[in-house]
Amino acid sequence: MTLMSRRAALLGAAALGSAGLARPALAAGSVTAAIYPGAWEEAFREHVAPVLKRQHQIDLEMQGLFAVDQVAKFAASRGAPPFDCFVLDPGPRITAIDRGQFERIDINKLANKAQIPAGMADEWGVATGAQVVGIAYNPKKLPKPAGWDDLLKDPWVSKLGLTGFGTTFGTVSLIELAKVFGGSETNVEPVFTELKKVLGKVAAVGTPAAMPGLFQQGQCDIMYTNTQTVTTLKDRGVDIEFVAPKTGAVSFITTLHIAKGSTNIDNAYKYIDAAISQPVQKALSEAPYFFVPVNRGVALGAGLPMRSLDEMSRFVTHDWAKINPLRAGWIDRFNREMAK
Amino acid sequence: MKQAFIRMGPALPLGLAYLTFFVAPLLMLVAVSFFADDKLTVMGLDNWRKFLFDSFHWKVVADTLLLGLKAVCATVLLGLPLALVWRGASPFWQRVLLFVAVMPLLTSVVVRTFAWIVILGREGVVNQLVLGLGLAAEPLRLLQTELGLVISLTQIEMPLLLLPLLSVMARFDPNLLDASASLGASPWRTLFKVVLPLVAPGLAAGALLVFASATTAFISQSVIGGGRLVYLPSLVWQQAMINANWPFAAVVAIVLLVSVSAVIAVIALAGRIAGGRVHGAAA
Repeated sequence: MTLMSRRAALLGAAALGSAGLARPALAAGSVTAAIYPGAWEEAFREHVAPVLKRQHQIDLEMQGLFAVDQVAKFAASRGAPPFDCFVLDPGPRITAIDRGQFERIDINKLANKAQIPAGMADEWGVATGAQVVGIAYNPKKLPKPAGWDDLLKDPWVSKLGLTGFGTTFGTVSLIELAKVFGGSETNVEPVFTELKKVLGKVAAVGTPAAMPGLFQQGQCDIMYTNTQTVTTLKDRGVDIEFVAPKTGAVSFITTLHIAKGSTNIDNAYKYIDAAISQPVQKALSEAPYFFVPVNRGVALGAGLPMRSLDEMSRFVTHDWAKINPLRAGWIDRFNREMAK
Repeated sequence: MKQAFIRMGPALPLGLAYLTFFVAPLLMLVAVSFFADDKLTVMGLDNWRKFLFDSFHWKVVADTLLLGLKAVCATVLLGLPLALVWRGASPFWQRVLLFVAVMPLLTSVVVRTFAWIVILGREGVVNQLVLGLGLAAEPLRLLQTELGLVISLTQIEMPLLLLPLLSVMARFDPNLLDASASLGASPWRTLFKVVLPLVAPGLAAGALLVFASATTAFISQSVIGGGRLVYLPSLVWQQAMINANWPFAAVVAIVLLVSVSAVIAVIALAGRIAGGRVHGAAA
């Protein structure tokens, strides 16, 4: 009898113990996040997934999708979101807001909200990384340029590597170049006029993905790009320096959003919270990823043109609600004007 | 019916996979092209009109097909002599040559393409050689030109020409060369009257693969060719991935498919006629 009760007690304890162990795992589950293929996917797998697992027993499942794909895939899913979270640049973010693809976010649910600078979170999403765009040049081959218009002057123009409106950084750089010649956020006409005059001299007109390689090989020695590319190339021993143009460096943020209709909202908040937490942001800001952090608790790298994240509010920003409707036309125009 | 099923049976799994993953998406692609707006709500021919009535788009089609033809000519001019050398080599050297010819297939096309940046760049191997030998004062512009693109595509696509060509060469009876010579034909006459017609099917198969691959080589076209050379694949990418205008991207994709298929049909027909003439004569 005594034996039986001891066995029963042991069994009961074991059952309770295993239930106790199993409960958090059952309750936690997983979260599915869309993520840009390549560096973003690698960085999040290496630094965000382990934190989510360790702190919340949540498995992070990632779907490698470019921004446009995320918006399109969500649209095609008709009410059953294919993932719980988006990661988007400003242009596609506006499209997704227009199409009603996001749940509203309650920033108070994020433990790290106090660490995020003003302007980096709103009712639709929270920044997870910033980009600072300006001019990159090879200091061993060219003098330091001062502003965007130097790109089209000697001696820089014959070493210039151009990209079109296909990327966010390319679009904002060309807009800034247009502004110097009298254009605006919605009028890039001066860029085409000015580029036409110097097109024969320009060293390379490349796809965005090819630009770092072209710079590394000396095909071009000056280009517009983000600090992340500059730091990555510098890390590989390439002679390259970042310059904030005299009219100001450009900044924009990449944001995380919760998909409308997600059944995993609590876990989605935990994912976003983990991605903006100090340890994760610090890890992402270091080699080999060099993301510009959005958490005030992370010391900024030497290659960045600001001392603190709050200084970024002085940088040039753009209204993508105005740019989006015009961009397809600009891309088409760039094709035609540049085509041999 | 049952017999037909038994005969077709082994091909059924692949056939079903093709139906599901190739034919069905292709039909969807055609359907998408008939939408007038990028949200796919209104049907209309707007995107077809936009493509067909714009000379810029026709120039892109012509440039794409011309690029394929140039790649075919270059690979044939370099590959055919190599195949002839292979034919006359000892079994050991045949194995070595075959390995060298196939080796590029073992590395990714992305790696091969980026390697060409290193070779053709301003400070690349070719320019260092040219400047070192004093052949030019300034580095030659090879990257971001059609010439550079054709050079790199020639190397990148070469295995696709060589594999079918070598398989036909292997079945080629060397006695025919002796017979031709003993009948008084010069080596050139033997090449054009005996060798070429006999290897025509292999040559056509290889040319067809090179053409299809070169015209659709999105990575090489964009990385080596750069932004000033616009071809159909990069137009599809731009419209689908950046502008999110799927109907127009679908139109461009269909034009690419149809135009490349048309040229391929001509190459295949030419190969069949040349091959058929020889085999007809032999029979």
